[in-house]
Amino acid sequence: MHTDRLFLNNPVLIAGFGLAPIVIAATTLSNALVLALGVLLMLTPTRVLAAAVCSKVPAHLRLLVYALCAGLVYIPTYMIVRGVFGVGIEAVGLYLPLLVVEPIIIKRAERPQPETVMMALRKGLATTAGFLLALFLCAALREYLGLGTLLGHPVAAGAPFPLANYTAGGFILIGLLAAFWRWCQNLFKKYVNLEAKQEL
Amino acid sequence: MTIVKDLLTFFMYAVIAIAAQNAVFTRAFGVSRLIRIVDSGELALSKFTLMLTVVQLLSAPLAFFANRLLSGISLRSALRPLVFVLCSGIAYLIVLLVLGLLSYKTQIKSLKDYVAVLGAATFNCSVIGTLLLTATGGYTLLQTMGFALGTALGYGVALLMVSEGQRKIQNRNVPSTFRGLPITLIYIGIIALAIYGFTGHMPSI
Repeated sequence: MHTDRLFLNNPVLIAGFGLAPIVIAATTLSNALVLALGVLLMLTPTRVLAAAVCSKVPAHLRLLVYALCAGLVYIPTYMIVRGVFGVGIEAVGLYLPLLVVEPIIIKRAERPQPETVMMALRKGLATTAGFLLALFLCAALREYLGLGTLLGHPVAAGAPFPLANYTAGGFILIGLLAAFWRWCQNLFKKYVNLEAKQEL
Repeated sequence: MTIVKDLLTFFMYAVIAIAAQNAVFTRAFGVSRLIRIVDSGELALSKFTLMLTVVQLLSAPLAFFANRLLSGISLRSALRPLVFVLCSGIAYLIVLLVLGLLSYKTQIKSLKDYVAVLGAATFNCSVIGTLLLTATGGYTLLQTMGFALGTALGYGVALLMVSEGQRKIQNRNVPSTFRGLPITLIYIGIIALAIYGFTGHMPSI
């Protein structure tokens, strides 16, 4: 249960990582696509590269190594994202380069034990999947509520909740979504416990 | 007269960064880290803010001059994050060295606490975000330094406000599903909304 990063231990809605790009930049699904490609190309390669290097690095320098690895991985990532989205990359502004120090990518460096390359690969992919799920969910919800559109196509007569498109609305909406996620999580845990008791 | 004007510019940018353009409430810089710090309740907020301020003030001029060197390179947008991480890495190593020397010479035990928070204070979206913002915004050195100081102090103010809010909202009246991350995010959202009341909406991107 603890290793499930998609639902039960979602890195954004349960652990609270990667909030800055989601709160500010994920206001539409097209912005979310830019961020998603950036995270997809950065998170796992950074973690694998840092895991390969960190086995011989003292603990107090690990964060520096993780951030430098992320900075290195960012160079090809930027070129690919720029190639795919062109000027669309400007829509997420600082929040794409800011991924190099985003806790969702470098937080693992703060644990006392360095991880193996295989574990970094496995957990990197799982964390990426969890982040992308939360990212698209928040972006779709914010685009619908804030603009009344989905991927630019109108789906409502107006904007049902225009504040969703702003920073304050982002915080509030993600807070509400995190509470809903926990409620679902508690329901699921209760169901699993009930099943286990019935089997006994 | 020029000195007074420069001082005014410096303090104006610092005040703007503390209040109207607070790193946490208007740009969400370092919000994940802030929530972890407040939730754990282990870190001393003043020590974290002090380390953040020192690192921010050391890395800001380094990044300013590094950005000037990058200006002629076509790939500067791709290279900037790596270069700025290197700048904050240099600031981190300088502070680590100074703390190590102080610890060796003075035997002050609390210095270990400063070393413990130094990494989190350095490799933080607030530090790199400020460097990126001032570099892409074409700030002068004085404006950069003022904004860097204000951002670090503003982060400290945000830490204080959120931890104080956390203390008051962690009671039995809050439904269990809202306790922790959800209620903290809603609380930050309400403060961000209050800042809109004073400044109006400014695009954060």
